Amino acid sequence: MNSKTVTARSVATRAAAALVLLILILLFCTMTGSHPVSLKNALTGAGDTQGHNIDYEIIFGSRLPRVLLAAIVGAALACAGVTLQAILRNPLADPYILGISSGAGLGGALAIMLASFLGSWAGVSVSVFAFVGAFGTVWLVWFIGHFATGRSSATSLLLAGVVINAFFSALIMFLTQIAKSYQLREIWLWLMGSITEKSLVVIGASAAAILLGLVGLFSIAQRLNVLTLGRAEAQGLGVATARTNLIAFALSAFVTSIAVSLSGLIGFVGLIVPHGVRLIFGPDHRQLLPLSAISGAALLAVADTLARTVIAPAQLPVGIITAITGGPFFLILLARYNRKVSWVK
Amino acid sequence: MHNSKLRTVLFFVVIIFIAAAVSGVIRLRYCAQCAAPPVSGNKQQPQRIVSLAPNITEILFKLGLDDKIIAVSNDCDWPLEALDKKKIGSFWQPNLEAVIACKPELVITLWFEQQNNVANSLKRLGYRVLTLRLEKIEELEPAIEKIGSATGQSKQAKKLINIINMQLKQSEQKFNTPTKPRVLWVVQPEPLRVAGGNTFITELLELAGAQNAISSTSIQYPGLSTEELLTCQADVIIQAAMNKETIESQKQESMVFWSKYKNLPAVRNNRIYVVDPDTILRLGPRIGQGLEQIGQIIHQP
Repeated sequence: MNSKTVTARSVATRAAAALVLLILILLFCTMTGSHPVSLKNALTGAGDTQGHNIDYEIIFGSRLPRVLLAAIVGAALACAGVTLQAILRNPLADPYILGISSGAGLGGALAIMLASFLGSWAGVSVSVFAFVGAFGTVWLVWFIGHFATGRSSATSLLLAGVVINAFFSALIMFLTQIAKSYQLREIWLWLMGSITEKSLVVIGASAAAILLGLVGLFSIAQRLNVLTLGRAEAQGLGVATARTNLIAFALSAFVTSIAVSLSGLIGFVGLIVPHGVRLIFGPDHRQLLPLSAISGAALLAVADTLARTVIAPAQLPVGIITAITGGPFFLILLARYNRKVSWVK
Repeated sequence: MHNSKLRTVLFFVVIIFIAAAVSGVIRLRYCAQCAAPPVSGNKQQPQRIVSLAPNITEILFKLGLDDKIIAVSNDCDWPLEALDKKKIGSFWQPNLEAVIACKPELVITLWFEQQNNVANSLKRLGYRVLTLRLEKIEELEPAIEKIGSATGQSKQAKKLINIINMQLKQSEQKFNTPTKPRVLWVVQPEPLRVAGGNTFITELLELAGAQNAISSTSIQYPGLSTEELLTCQADVIIQAAMNKETIESQKQESMVFWSKYKNLPAVRNNRIYVVDPDTILRLGPRIGQGLEQIGQIIHQP
């Protein structure tokens, strides 16, 4: 593994290069859309009447919020995927594997159905309900996995996740049965995952929260490396496995919950980005985590740009784009998996 | 550990960089908000109107605002002039950017999650947005009134409301027969899904002097078991076409499908119809005509 040796300097160089690339990609995405705009004109400001500077409004009111939102959601999902694959020691783990998706889906669906009662709060309630649903469910899974089965292993966590996922999915199906036809479509579109234009205040606050979570994950990267060796080995090497597991789990649940509350359920990013980065740069989490964050951000920003331009002015849910491009890519990875990727460092 | 120090420094540089970028953007936004006056253009009579829904578009055309409608959704297909208007994305996922590019003075949206997102973004940018709830017949009149007053066409709106009310009343009187035929309204044949009690369709059926063969259900569009189907005693079956172009072939298919249920009066008497749901079910100015059509189908000799 000499080509994949990780030193502080190599990580710093690669991360810096990747970051520059990410910024260029985000700029490109901001400049791409169904309507041609001039950046120079946009930078002159809003102008003194509404509709005076269309370029400004399109870039700062519509595209930039979307691109930034896609970037932070992508980064969160990719890092959560890396972390869950490490603590569950399962290459098929993704951010949604422990019930977050169905929890968020149930929350979102409930909010949409209760929209009439929530009145003017309806706009934010979907996000709030989805966050509560996601975060609540993931802890429910954690407690079932740890206490109901009486031992803490990755398998019991996974099983709890599968059961809760199935149960909550059934509840969502029930809700869709009693939903009105237009609510059904709302729920359906929300479940597929879409990046929409949120206010920059919301995006700024969520970005801060997600970045905080990611920094937390970066700080335990070395311990995640040890965890992938297996529990006994990790303990032998002096890593408090239970505590590390809990921290990693809590942080990834936190960032995923924020991500799904912002964008619904966007699949595949949290699965293919970690594998792709691991395939190219090796499995060391000190490098894998930051590079996955940056790649996830870039991937989702590009996917969302496709979603809003392919059939412009109509739009596709971005989840469709990530799944269509992600599926084949993942199959290729699987085919090459045994040859190329060594699971432990 | 040398490594971890360097790493920590790097990460914080990244964080600070991103935070700075985000806060810069936020400040830009706020400056824009302070500087920009709330709404430009003629408030009483907006000259550039964008409609995000087919029924809103129909109302706007009926109010004589043809030349002020700048853009409509991809799903706006009536009147035919709407097809020539600029498009701003689908009804379900309108494209904010395309709406802004139209320089609208008034944007009219319907009240549901995906359109509310767009409406909120537009409001944040200072655009004038009118959001309507339009799910029941009784909501049509206030909706037309609101559109009328927002576009300076209150008089026209009153007229339109009167016409619609008159049509509804005429049909209601005309079809007010002592026996109320039982109508099964099929939303989707396979798997079978029908209109339940608590729907707009039941409202229409009752106005057309009929009754829904399915008694009230908590589920709006329930799937139906064969048992329930056989006992619903529908006199007439009306099926909403999935596609306007293929109504004839859907009619053939539905004949075959329903021939299994010979004990239903509707099947025995060959009273199965396939209709274009867009003209009948769109809650807009054509609702009177829709009701008339349904009534005639149901009360055919």
